[in-house]
Amino acid sequence: MGRPGAVIEIDRTSPPTLFHFGEGVRLERLPLGSRVLYPPDPLDAIAHPERAIRRALANPLEEDSLQSLLRANMKLTIAFDDLSLPLPPMAAPDIRQLIMEEVIELAAEAGVTDIELIAANSLHRRMTADEIRHIVGDRIFSTFYPDKLYNHDAEDPEGNLLIGTTAAGEEVTLNRRAVESDLVVYVNITLVPMDGGHKSMATGLGSYRSVRPHHNVKTLLHSRSYMHPPDSALHDACTRQGQLIEDTVRVFHIETSVNNNAFPGIAGFMQKRETDWTAGDQASYLAIKQMTDLAPPSIKRSIFHSMRAPYGLTGVWAGQVDAVHAKALEGCRKQMAVTVEGQTDILTMGLPYLGPYNVNSILNPVLVVCLGLGYLFNLYKNKPVVREGGVVIMAHPCRYEFDQVHHPSYIDFYDEVLADTKDPHQIETKYEKRFAEDPWYRQLYRKSHAYHGVHPFYAWYWAAHALQYVGDVIIVGGERETVHRLGFKCATTLEDALEMAEQTVGRHPSISHLRTPPLFLADVI
Amino acid sequence: MVGRISRGGSKIVLALQYVRSIPRFALVKAAGGRPEVATSDLSMLVLGDVAEPELPAGDWHRVRPTLSGICGSDLSAISGHVSLYLDPLTSYPFVPGHEVVGQLSDGTRVVVQPALGCTVRGVVPECANCAAGHPGLCENVPIGCLEVGLQTGYCSSTGGGWGEVLVAHRSQLHEVPDSIPDQAAVLLEPLACAIHAALRGGTAAEDTVLVYGAGTIGLLTAAAIKHLAPHRRLLIVAKHPHQREAALSLGVDQVIRPEEVFQRVRFATGARRLQTIGQPVLLGGVDVTFDCVGSTTSLNSAVRLTRPKGKVIAVGMPGEEKVDWTPIWQRELTVMGAYAYGKEEKLDGRQTFDLALELAPQLRLERFTGPLFQLGEYKDAISHAMNAGRMGSVKIAFDLRGLSN
Amino acid sequence: MRDRPWYSGELGPARLAHTTGVLISDLRQLQAGFRWDRPRPWQWPEAESGLADGPTDLGWARTEPVRTIRLLIQRGLSGPFTRAMAHPKVEGAEWITGLDRPAILASNHSSHADTSLLLYALPDRARERTVVAAAADYWYRRPFLGRVISLWLNTFPFSRTGGASEVLHRSSQLLKGGWNLLVYPEGSRSPDGRLQAFKPGVGHLATQTRSPVVPMHVRGSRRLMPRGRSIPLPAPVTIKIGKPLYPGRGEGSREFTVRVEEAVRDLAGGKEQGDWIARWRAGAPYRRLTEGDLRTGFGPASAPPS
Repeated sequence: MGRPGAVIEIDRTSPPTLFHFGEGVRLERLPLGSRVLYPPDPLDAIAHPERAIRRALANPLEEDSLQSLLRANMKLTIAFDDLSLPLPPMAAPDIRQLIMEEVIELAAEAGVTDIELIAANSLHRRMTADEIRHIVGDRIFSTFYPDKLYNHDAEDPEGNLLIGTTAAGEEVTLNRRAVESDLVVYVNITLVPMDGGHKSMATGLGSYRSVRPHHNVKTLLHSRSYMHPPDSALHDACTRQGQLIEDTVRVFHIETSVNNNAFPGIAGFMQKRETDWTAGDQASYLAIKQMTDLAPPSIKRSIFHSMRAPYGLTGVWAGQVDAVHAKALEGCRKQMAVTVEGQTDILTMGLPYLGPYNVNSILNPVLVVCLGLGYLFNLYKNKPVVREGGVVIMAHPCRYEFDQVHHPSYIDFYDEVLADTKDPHQIETKYEKRFAEDPWYRQLYRKSHAYHGVHPFYAWYWAAHALQYVGDVIIVGGERETVHRLGFKCATTLEDALEMAEQTVGRHPSISHLRTPPLFLADVI
Repeated sequence: MVGRISRGGSKIVLALQYVRSIPRFALVKAAGGRPEVATSDLSMLVLGDVAEPELPAGDWHRVRPTLSGICGSDLSAISGHVSLYLDPLTSYPFVPGHEVVGQLSDGTRVVVQPALGCTVRGVVPECANCAAGHPGLCENVPIGCLEVGLQTGYCSSTGGGWGEVLVAHRSQLHEVPDSIPDQAAVLLEPLACAIHAALRGGTAAEDTVLVYGAGTIGLLTAAAIKHLAPHRRLLIVAKHPHQREAALSLGVDQVIRPEEVFQRVRFATGARRLQTIGQPVLLGGVDVTFDCVGSTTSLNSAVRLTRPKGKVIAVGMPGEEKVDWTPIWQRELTVMGAYAYGKEEKLDGRQTFDLALELAPQLRLERFTGPLFQLGEYKDAISHAMNAGRMGSVKIAFDLRGLSN
Repeated sequence: MRDRPWYSGELGPARLAHTTGVLISDLRQLQAGFRWDRPRPWQWPEAESGLADGPTDLGWARTEPVRTIRLLIQRGLSGPFTRAMAHPKVEGAEWITGLDRPAILASNHSSHADTSLLLYALPDRARERTVVAAAADYWYRRPFLGRVISLWLNTFPFSRTGGASEVLHRSSQLLKGGWNLLVYPEGSRSPDGRLQAFKPGVGHLATQTRSPVVPMHVRGSRRLMPRGRSIPLPAPVTIKIGKPLYPGRGEGSREFTVRVEEAVRDLAGGKEQGDWIARWRAGAPYRRLTEGDLRTGFGPASAPPS
């Protein structure tokens, strides 16, 4: 059993603190008295995941066992989370593979003839064959791909059905195959508390029409934070939609929680506290630092993106959505919760090379904002780590770099929309519809491997709460022109950034550093 | 007062002459038109005393240029990029310079409309084009009282702006009001070209219009479209920062960098973009494109950026450029040129130069002119003009005010 | 040398070029005159009379350490080379993973590259236990070539012309010895890429040994290396592996051959192989055979799915 997370103050004897810096790392010396927020150590993984999965399927929560639900001539659909989870992608075998193999084995025993597997990628990009293969494993892939194993297409006019409207007026659409199935099994990874529950089906197999009611500025401003579902308007809406889905189709939900073993041995220092670094850790830091300083971005990227995380399964539950999700959240909390006393004036963080939307791709400037001010800022419960009007300092090279295949709409969003305004409300009213309905983006989403035209807006809305809440944002080491386009300030060194921040928050500020990844949830009291 | 007396009795004046020499032309062309070679002693340019041009007929006046611009077409002649098509339409040696503001002997400030049509040449009866008011398209260029030449500045009989004195027919002269300073007046001739092009484009009120290039012609064409041609949205492709700022100050809706032009135009027009080796293909595109560069890249981009059945207007003088005709064929494009000026049927048959004189004051054109060079500094001037964009300039001009007095 | 001018052709590079040229032409002359490329003519009968003596069965090729050497060659050289040249797309490998006894692999044949590609397509475990039937009158005419081929691809001589019973006997011995047998029932490479009629030997062998036959189909190898070209050029290749066929009780060898031929044609036409449950079961991870399995051996141990 590892140590819980901790808040450690910098004193004279403290070693320097690790900052992720895109495809790179830095050691920075924080001022004396700064707090560093460390994630808990990884929990012990379940030794025999297959057995745990089999047990969960046989004894579901508030639901009949899967075996009893399967009949020979039924329509069975298995939906699973796409490659945005977990981060970085999991070393083979993926948890989803293990679960789906068990489910399929049961289906084969029951003699189910009509079975299809759908990647619930919502408005995310279609996965390539290799990416699907990595998630589902060779056996499932060779049995079902490509006719019975495919990506959900949210823009297929035939493939999505409007199944109703919630009491609050949110439209709900669902993948046609799922609607027409006798049973939908959803296989989920709950990496952070935002994932899972009703959000899985409602968003994953939804369309722009059904995602729009909760992926908007108003809802996200009232989700404080969306990493803590009870306080999240986003999740309230998803739950309403999910209940409607449960009335329409029978859903057998499977959720898993994993530990935070996010880095393979060579990069093990990234998840250790600096005080614990051995000589070996220091050597591998040095090696990686030198490599990333010298190598061109494309090479660094291909090295970093080939890293696979040795995540371990810490829990698996199956059954009715709410019952399962409650358990999964509990499992997630055990791994992630860190208690933090009081807010801080300045929050610093080093942004890594990877966010949910750039697996095997480039973390473009818009995604930098989404990752820093969206995901990392919102990893809190009760109140943000930084006080209202405080300053967030993020370290990232923030280059003008876009992936032409995966993020075509991001390029236009950056060049057209952000050149005009940064205000989420204005962006939403003025531009969203146009991007969402652009035929070219639609085509690229359906036929190529592009994120949906509206996706950059969601990336920006994700940061809406932070943009409204904080006084200033400074990006250390960023490309000046790009940072200014994002509406932030640019600093060369951390010292400069802290100096600049003092002009906003006053002299002698309190400083906290979010030592992440691995991810954790700050419970601020 | 004017000039000195040569031994033969006629006056001599200082001018920068362009001589016809095939070896020199070949040398400059072989050097790729690099300014060091194109202005060297082995180039076609010769600075020195020439005989003052004589008045060919009664209605002619002597004009003493004050400022005289360096035009892109001059540079392509100097650097050897010019098409041989123009060779028989030119008489040598000539004094270049057709963007001229100058003074008559009575002190009147005038700009010269350089086209040498039937009226100027004293040809009776006039050819059909001249009769219709388009002296630039005159078919009697080789006859009349002048040597062959399309314009003042390409004709050996008239002299040109890069010399102390030129002669011009009364019909060529337009008086400049005091509201337009010399620096602005030197841009009236290109502005007239731009206005003619903008009107010739025949844009409609719903059109998205793209101007490719933001040099003098590009900026002035954008300005002319903004004020005189109907359109919905005006985009301009500009390479250099000062060009971007200038374009925005002229009221252009969007400035685009050349490397992102396909991305931006795709977005602006809601087209589809297909990626392939080399330049992408747009399904759709802008309604009208004004190519104001005349290079291989710009022309090839222009025909790919224009929607099917759209129009491409070549405004900047192109040379012998290799252009892929497939998009022109497949998109049923209308490709047209826009040269010179005359009567603008679209605006009640008014003269382009009058329109330019009217439009000029609101554009504050003087900010685009500079730096100014003396005739003796022509090597620097031409080298600077060839790199105007990179050097942060728009229009380079010769300052001839110091010559006579 | 000093007094010779540079253009005399007797100095420096010119001299070197001249010497090399002479050497090359001498070598060519020897090669043509003494027929280096084939066995000495006075000791060998004409090709047509071929194989008077029964070919050796090259048992050494299936013993250690040759098997390890072959594994290294295939993993280190031919595998990567095949991948680079053909980017082979393999469909249906699960049908072989799931086999619990040696099988006859029957494929179409349109190029010399087929064998490499088919071996590439097999799962590792199956590849190491596969022998390839190579035309005795073609590959084993020259002993050295025969040995290289045996070392590299684990081939054994398979007579196309006569002595059917003996060859079939040897083949069935191999099958019983636990080896999969890769055969080309067409008999030779297709001249135009179309599937030719299958020779009945494959059916005979299967019905005799009661071995399953796995239909396989290679598409694109003709573009990679057609008949008549000796150097492969890159081209994409798809290899499809079909559902194994079991000879029915009392089914004649000719009828079964027809069934195999139909199966290969279906593969070529992209017909779905079996339902998902069959494919899923076939793809189950390898389970080590127990004593009991071995004893029941090559009879119909687990009832073959019909």
